[in-house]
Amino acid sequence: MAKESKEVGSSKFSYQKFFVYLFLISGSLISLFPFYYMFVMATRLNREINQVPPPFAPGANLVENFQKVLSSIDFFGAMWNSFIVASSVTVGTLFLCSLAGYTFAKLDFKGKNILFALILVTMMVPPQLGLIPQYYIITALGWLNDFRAIIVPGLINAFGIFWMRQYISSSVPDEIIEAARIDGCSHFRIYWNISVPMILPAFATLGIIVFMHVWNDFLWPLVVLRDPTMHTLQVALRALNDARQMDYGMIMSGTFWATVPLIIVFLLFNRLFIQSLSEGAVKS
Amino acid sequence: METTTKARGLSEKKKTALSAYLFISPFFILFAIFGLFPMVFSFYLSFFRWDGLSPMTYIGVRNFELIFTDPVFFSSILNTFIIGLMGTLPQIFIGILLAFALNSTLIRYRNTFRTFVFLPYITSIVAVAIIFGVVFNNQPFGFANYILSTFDIGPIRWNAEYWPVKFAIATMVFWRWVGYNTIIFLAGMQSIPKELYEAAKIDGATVGQQIRLITLPMLKPIVMFVVFTATIGSFQLFTEPLIFLGRGLREEGITMVAYLWRDAFVYNSFGTASAAAIVLFFIIIAITAINLLITNRLGRSKKIG
Amino acid sequence: MSKFIKLIAISFLAVVFLAACGGGTDGDTDTDTGTDGDTTQEQIGEGDIELVFWEFGNTGYDVLIEEYVAENPHVSINLQNSDMNDLHDNLFTSISAGSGAPDITMIEEAQIERFKTAPQAFENLYDYGASDVEGDFLDWVWNNGRSAEGDFQFGLPTDIGPTVMFYRTDVFEEAGFDSSPEAVSDLVATWDDFEEVGRQIKDSTGKLMTDAGELVYNARRDQATQQYFNPDGDLIMDEHNQIRDAFDYVAGLFEQDLVGDIPLWTPEWFGGMGDGTYATMLAPAWMQGVIKDNEPEEGVWSITTMPEGAGNWGGSYLAIPSETEHAEEAYAFIQWLTAPEQQLKAFEGYGLFPSTPAVYDMPEFLEYEDDYFGGIATAQVFSEAAQAVETVYKGRNFYPVDDEVKEALDNLSAGADPESEWEAALDRINRILERQ
Repeated sequence: MAKESKEVGSSKFSYQKFFVYLFLISGSLISLFPFYYMFVMATRLNREINQVPPPFAPGANLVENFQKVLSSIDFFGAMWNSFIVASSVTVGTLFLCSLAGYTFAKLDFKGKNILFALILVTMMVPPQLGLIPQYYIITALGWLNDFRAIIVPGLINAFGIFWMRQYISSSVPDEIIEAARIDGCSHFRIYWNISVPMILPAFATLGIIVFMHVWNDFLWPLVVLRDPTMHTLQVALRALNDARQMDYGMIMSGTFWATVPLIIVFLLFNRLFIQSLSEGAVKS
Repeated sequence: METTTKARGLSEKKKTALSAYLFISPFFILFAIFGLFPMVFSFYLSFFRWDGLSPMTYIGVRNFELIFTDPVFFSSILNTFIIGLMGTLPQIFIGILLAFALNSTLIRYRNTFRTFVFLPYITSIVAVAIIFGVVFNNQPFGFANYILSTFDIGPIRWNAEYWPVKFAIATMVFWRWVGYNTIIFLAGMQSIPKELYEAAKIDGATVGQQIRLITLPMLKPIVMFVVFTATIGSFQLFTEPLIFLGRGLREEGITMVAYLWRDAFVYNSFGTASAAAIVLFFIIIAITAINLLITNRLGRSKKIG
Repeated sequence: MSKFIKLIAISFLAVVFLAACGGGTDGDTDTDTGTDGDTTQEQIGEGDIELVFWEFGNTGYDVLIEEYVAENPHVSINLQNSDMNDLHDNLFTSISAGSGAPDITMIEEAQIERFKTAPQAFENLYDYGASDVEGDFLDWVWNNGRSAEGDFQFGLPTDIGPTVMFYRTDVFEEAGFDSSPEAVSDLVATWDDFEEVGRQIKDSTGKLMTDAGELVYNARRDQATQQYFNPDGDLIMDEHNQIRDAFDYVAGLFEQDLVGDIPLWTPEWFGGMGDGTYATMLAPAWMQGVIKDNEPEEGVWSITTMPEGAGNWGGSYLAIPSETEHAEEAYAFIQWLTAPEQQLKAFEGYGLFPSTPAVYDMPEFLEYEDDYFGGIATAQVFSEAAQAVETVYKGRNFYPVDDEVKEALDNLSAGADPESEWEAALDRINRILERQ
């Protein structure tokens, strides 16, 4: 056994490597398939999609379907709206959650455990019933048809605080904080100048998750953004549904192209992930 | 000297506490505005009959009586446990393995694989619904039934039979969330120093030993995080049953949140929906407490070992 | 990795570019329809009184509204289109929280029942002169938009969905029948005939008589004079036999394999329209477009009357939420929009079937023929159906109850016992009603 594991790094081929690749490739295929199928539907006519068995290769209507989308909704206007909303929530959440996560992980104060437990308890309340009272608050604030209606409540993220606390508690050493404290650094400066650079992978992860979530969410935006000029992409796409005669080719075309920017965003965050990784390697 | 440090320590403590409260206050202020009112409102509503449109009527604990005499409510609890276990446990296990593979320096094209594995979380729910409709179609040509037919198993009604419904929904849950958990594990693995693995390799540790002796212990806070959030997530399972079963939500596959959602928005019975939400809330708290107890105990015994 | 980003970004830009160019090369007509076609929002007119109007589906009302604001320059109309379910959900939330409703909203026929429990949230159209136009509409349509007591009109009817029998001429011919609409109508005059013809078609062609038990059940339910509730709100479905008969009839069809287990809106259902898997479909006027979309060949499908009468599926009302500050203007507009002349235009442009019988006698309507359905006067078949629909009390819990019956029917298609399924459905229905 010992010999075999030593070989892993050096040899060109090993069974371990083979199985790891097999595992990753099969996982990737399963993950990729619905995404690919979305693309197939975006390239086909409704009639073709409804055939039995359904088609599994792309068709010829890629451009035509997207034209239909463009003539039905303000696709790029809505994409811009989505971008503004999703980036605002992401930036705000990253800041607030990492700050709170840092506090719970590294600072001592009265009531810490109870307050943290309280944050966890807020995650346990099923959110589905809050719709009507939350809508009521938004109308009372006069935020109907206003991006604030999505951005501000979107900043409440117990999950993010918990995540940041777990990550910071294991990856930011107490000694560094104590040393900085003795040097007279304020808590905020320790957080900002010392801790933040050490937790970039956590930022990248939470950033990806929050951005994707806000981008794809339509339940709440649908309720508070009624004016079509304020629609985010997912809300605008809903208007492609005809009451009874669904044009799946068109709907999937809109859906597919609405997802593409997410892949770009994912890759950008991933770069942050990798960079922080190599920096970490240099440091250590 | 001693007195000065003491005085400094006191004010230091106060300063720290002050900064701490300041740093966490945004969450609590926002939550008080947008989260607390809906919670209190739900609690209040559970003692009323309300259809969302006409005035409310106080009916005491009648809503609780109604849900506790409803066999579907108990089915929904059982379903939630079954689907949660079927969908979540393998997710955590496979998630760790995937993350480990993606973190391994032996593998090329890691970014590409990473993107692919994460795709399900990005894929629009509309596409997911259509795809799983094709895979778990009741007709003989449905993908799953077609595969089963090669083993001489007759077509299964995936959206109506007791276990097939649960299996189909659990598969969807697994598919949608495994990449997400992988990315979280991956972030956790990034914080483990590479030297540990290198040292282990030099000592001749196998991959299995590396995972068991280095990755898992170092990853403990993250594993706890994933177990905790996945547990809560599986109790709040809603989207998958809804898109797989439609608004009718048959008894074979209804989950607790789907049950309360249907009471509220299909039957317009906000009182019973709120009562069910409260019961669910207490179940989640109880399960989480047990969960924490077990993970803590496991964590301790590992340290001793 | 940056290569990967570039690749994705470039492919995205390429499609955008092609889409934009393609519009130009197709000529001006294409770009024209592109810009003023069915965008989700349009502010029409420049009047000071702005009316926000929520609509769903493909109505073509924008064209009519332009006509209206030209004659009534003091109003402008902000037309907002959304998904049908989303519109009703938003309306529900707005009324529930007491703000955010529009000046005018479309409400679907199936949904108006639940909004009837909130008379405080809507204007009573009788206060604005709705009784003057009451006679213009079909009785059953008008009554469905009215309170049980009959003194509160929630909405003015727009279109309706009278149901007929769509059938495949090729399957009927293959089974040795004359496939003209008159002949088929005589051949399948009663539900017993329907069953008998189904058996013959199955024996000679191996094909199903119809797609889904659900639609046969709907047809028979709609022909009942009493359905689930009486006007006092009591559940009566187990006390008269009309609903039970409909249920048992479908159970019989399932037993003989005359009806498919093909759920609506699934690929196999759409595909079946083109393959001829099933010989008939009991469906409303608006299904014409769906059929045309899935079976491109003309003359394969035709239309005739349904056995023993007709039914209705779909259609909408226009209502005025009380939040509005311009109820007078809103009413004037909706009365104009639902008047026979405008309903004729909506029919001609977008196939919305009129709820005002005056249209049925207009020459443009009588002469309307459709080559796709073998060149017959389709509009007349539908108008006969529209006039044959029963007036029946539905009640606000109609749809939750109906859903439970449909679940039972679904179980029947898998071979469950009708008696125990009926009992189980009643049990579920009673538990739902207990909550109200």
